[in-house]
Formats: sequence, C-alpha cells, structure tokens
Amino acid sequence: MSGKAQFATEKIFFREAIARAVREEMRDNPRVFVMGQDVGAFGGSYREFDGLFGEFGAARVRDMPVAEAAMVGIGVGAAAAGYRPLVSITYMDFMMLGFDPLINYGAKLRYKTGGQLTAPVVVKTTAGAKGQGVAHSQCIEAWLMSVPGLKVVAPSTAADAYGLLKAALREDGPVVFVDHKRLFPVAGEVPLAQAIVPIGKANIARSGTDLTITTHSFMTRVAMDAATLLQSKGISVEIVDLRTLAPLDIDTIAGSVKRTGALLTLEEGQVTCGVGVEVIARVHERLGPVPSARVGALPAPVSSNRVLELACLPDATRVAIAVRNLLNPVTASPRPVVSSGER
Amino acid sequence: MTVLEQKAALRSMMLIRAFEQALARRPDHGFQLLSSGEEAVAVGLCSVLGDQDQLLTGGRSIGPALARGLDPNRVMAELLGRSSGTNRGKGGRGHLADPTAGFFGAHAVVGGNISIAAGVALSMQLSAKEAVAVILFGDGAFGAGALHEVLNIAASWKLPLLFVCNNNQLSVSTPRSTALAPRNLSDIGLAFGIPAKTVDGMNVEVVAAAAREAIAPVRAGQGPAFLETISYRFASHSTTARETRSRVELEEIRARCPILRQTAALVAAGVMGEDEAAGLKREVDDVVAAAIAFSDASKYPDPTEALVDVW
Repeated sequence: MSGKAQFATEKIFFREAIARAVREEMRDNPRVFVMGQDVGAFGGSYREFDGLFGEFGAARVRDMPVAEAAMVGIGVGAAAAGYRPLVSITYMDFMMLGFDPLINYGAKLRYKTGGQLTAPVVVKTTAGAKGQGVAHSQCIEAWLMSVPGLKVVAPSTAADAYGLLKAALREDGPVVFVDHKRLFPVAGEVPLAQAIVPIGKANIARSGTDLTITTHSFMTRVAMDAATLLQSKGISVEIVDLRTLAPLDIDTIAGSVKRTGALLTLEEGQVTCGVGVEVIARVHERLGPVPSARVGALPAPVSSNRVLELACLPDATRVAIAVRNLLNPVTASPRPVVSSGER
Repeated sequence: MTVLEQKAALRSMMLIRAFEQALARRPDHGFQLLSSGEEAVAVGLCSVLGDQDQLLTGGRSIGPALARGLDPNRVMAELLGRSSGTNRGKGGRGHLADPTAGFFGAHAVVGGNISIAAGVALSMQLSAKEAVAVILFGDGAFGAGALHEVLNIAASWKLPLLFVCNNNQLSVSTPRSTALAPRNLSDIGLAFGIPAKTVDGMNVEVVAAAAREAIAPVRAGQGPAFLETISYRFASHSTTARETRSRVELEEIRARCPILRQTAALVAAGVMGEDEAAGLKREVDDVVAAAIAFSDASKYPDPTEALVDVW
C-alpha cells in the first residue's frame, strides 16, 4: 500500500462515521450486534445506524421496547455470555434507568467473579442540549468517571467517533460511548483505512502557548471558536480534546499544562464534581499549583426554551472571557451570568 | 424420580442444610444469607438442568450453588473470603459464580440478575445452543420493574428463559401479603402469554416435577415459562438480621422441613431405612467438615488483589 493510500480519507458526517464503525465491526465479528429503541429499519433517532438493519437483519439489529433498564441488562448479560452488544440509549438522561446492570453488574463483573467473566458491552448514548428540555439534554458523563471497571469515551470529530467506537467494540470490558446531538450533522475527514483510535489517549486539537483548555465532545468545537476569538486578542490557546474521560490521559494533559502554565476546563455538564474538577485535581497532583478555572453549564436544569437553554450553556464568548480572567486576574471583568454572544 | 434420584435429592438437601449450619457458626467473615428451609426449591430445580444450562440467582444462593454441583470446598472458601474460593474470595456472599459448572452466578441486587439472565438466554438463542437460562429470584424481586420489563421482552423474543420465583414470603421483614398485589405470583404469566404455575416449594419431588414440566417448552424453543414455589425461610434475612417472627410461628414453619418430609416419605415407601438416612447425614457432615478444613487451610487474598481484575 502506498503511503498516500494509507492516509486517504473520506469526508462523512459524524453519524455516518458511527454507522461505518458498527458496520465494519459487525462484518468482522459475528458476535457484535446492536440493540435499542428505534435502531432497526428506522436507522436510529439520528440515523446513526442507517443501513445496518438492511444488511444484518432483525436478529443482529434489534428493536426494543422502551425499557432502558432491561436493554442495558440484557446487553450486559449477553456480553457476559460471550457476545459484544452495542446498546443504544437514545438520550443520556435515560441511562440512569440502566445504571444498575451497568454499574452494579457490568463494571464489577470481572472483579467479583475473580476474572471468570467480563462484560464487553458498549452503551452508546447521546448527550447534550438541542432544544429538548430538562430531561433530554443532560451531560452526566462525569458521574460515570468514578466507576471502577467502566471506560468512558466522548469524541468530538467524525474520525474519533469512528476510531473510538471500533476500539470500544473490541474492548474486553464495558465502555460508555457518549456522542452529542449537535455533532451528528457535522462532517469530518475519516481515514478510509480502519483507523482505530486507542481508548485512553487525548488529542491536542490545537497548539498554543498561553493556556490549555481541556474539553470533550461538542464543547471542543466551542473551545476552538473561543481560541479563534482569543487569537485576535493575541492570546494563544492550546486545546486538549480529552476524547477518553476514563481512564483520563493525564500525561497528555499535564504535558500541555506544563508548557502553557494555565488551565481552563470546559464541559457542557455541571462543574460541581464535573470532568474539570478531576482534570484540575490530577494536574495539581502532577504539577503543583497552576492557575486554573472551570467553565460548564449554569447550576440549573437545561430548558427547552431557547433563551434559557442558551443562557445555561457555555459558548465561545463566555469561554473567551473566562480565559482572559484567568490570565489577567487583576483586570478581570466580572463573569456574565448570561452571555451576550450568539452561538 | 427414580429411587436413586430420590435419595440423591435428599442427600443434596442435607448437604445444603449441614453446610449452612456449619457456616452460621463461622461469623468471622461477616454475615451470611442462608437458605435453610428452601432446599427443596434449589434441589428440585437443579435436578432438571443439563450441563449446557446456566443458572442465575439472587443473593440467597448457597443452596442453588451446591444443588447445581459446585465444589463445596470452593463455595465455603469463597464465603469465608479465601483465595481458593470460586471467585478468588472477591465475590463472597451473594455473588458466587462458577459458569463452567452451569452456575453463571448470583447477584445480590434484588431483581438485578433478571435482565442479565435474559441476556444469557439471548446469547443461547443467537448461537442456537440447545440450552436454557434459569433465573431464580425471590418474592422480593417480584415487585421490581426489571422483572416486568424482562417478562415482556422474553415473551416477545421467545427467549429460552425459565423464571423461577421462590416465594419465601418475606422481603427482610416485609410480608409478601403487604408488598405484592397478585393473588398468585404466577398469575403474571397470563399477561405475557407465558405458561405459569404455583407449586409447593417444600416438597422436592413436587418442585422437580413442576420444573421438568415448566422447562420442557422452554427447551423446545417455545419461549419462557414461569414457576412460583411457595417456601419458608427458617432463619432471619441474614445471620445478623433481627428475626421478626414469633417462636411459635417459627416452630410451625420448621415443622414443614423439606428434609424431614423427604426422609419420612422414603422411609414410609420402604425404599430407605432410618439407618441409611443417618448414613447420608454422616456423609454430608464429612463433606462439610472437609470444606471448612479446606477453607481454613487457604489464604486470604493478598491486599494487592484489590487492584486485580478491575479493568
């Protein structure tokens, strides 16, 4: 194979990257199958399973009743018995219904059976706000980061969605794959070759010298926009796209912060006990005191009301202000409760 | 049952009882969940399972594990926290597992193993394995949503899954009568088009016959079945939980002992003498003494084991 062919890419939507990853893994491994609500002929709520039902049929692309606890439990059980199911939970909010089998059983299984059984299940779920209201918008991935035995990934690009989902479907234990409503219609270059993205590796999405922003999923795009705004003010931001939240790639994160000397964490979920808290604590343990700040949603539910949803979520302007405040604490402008910027 | 099977069932029940009595005298590794009084359910059920079948249970799992044929030495070692246990001492009470012996495992979250069992049944269906998954749970799990979700899916998909609700009529202290609405718990089968039956769980031959009848259509690919066994737990919820029943009530309950009943039945039928029954008792006592000795000679896990098999 020539070097050129090796690096050839195709431009596809994030949702297509998911379908491609699942399709390839299902072709390669008869033990991979999909189960969840609306995953069959409907192709998934975001068409992220388009074409799978037609190719693999109802036995391997299984529509389920609205019963998340059973969906996850049956997936975990089938995984423990030797299969590699992908369980689709349409909204991350509904994962709470499946926490018992996932956390009490799946994540503990290898340990509690002394290595006799493992549960190689992927729970794919969609986080983030896009006008769907208080119980269909949450980003609760930070809750899952503290569960021993559970891996959590949250890509921001089509290539990473593709590569991380393939990696997740080859893992020997449970993985939560978090995607995002606002990412599905975003296109990106994805290698034509079967490029696995290893779990546990962050990506420096933008190089900079003055400050590091760590973030994941859709907020990586917000961080990129903020970095562009700040560039025009002469501030150079480095962005670490975490990609995997558990286990956290502290080497890449700390390496970046050591170079830039300042750290802003950005997430769409709550900052209290959030991803950023863990990042800042680990960096502190590794490097000692570093100027740090957190940006996340306001401490409030995310309304389906457009005005209130915008008010609640971080945007590029808010991130840029937080960065300037962190770098210039003396001249800091007060943090606005509601951003004046458009998203 | 043949006479040989009848005697084997009696011996198996005796082993469970002797095992639990010995374990109850060993509080050094924390409380235990005993199934004394419910031996007939475990033994009757396991008498109809084949090598390829998988049994999953709730936390009260010593009886089912031994009835399934797990090595008493390794079960005892597990319950006493030793590395030579079935789960290397890491599962302990409520989490016994030995899938290669057809015991996929216990799980101590009430109702938590029901959907897992359906997943195991799905794996059997997908691989066209001629096997059945059996989920044994208590009346405490009957009120949990997991059961109702899984009944629906198992019936829709015709999963090879046998539901066995061992109704010992108590959830810790809460009587079944104040917790659950249906008259018979097996009535739930009707709603999902699942064959269902309620039987006396204190008679091993009745349980065995009912289990054999229930599992036949499941094995034949016709979908799930539901069996309710009415039983009595002789001890409190756990070896450290308060007993809520009166002495009189407990005496009445213990008079229904499935071991005494089976012994009396075999003696009355003239197929076993009192001395033979005493011989069986001596045999199981030896097995239990050996299990205790095996466990005591085994090591606790090294503290470094805390981080092994986590990820």
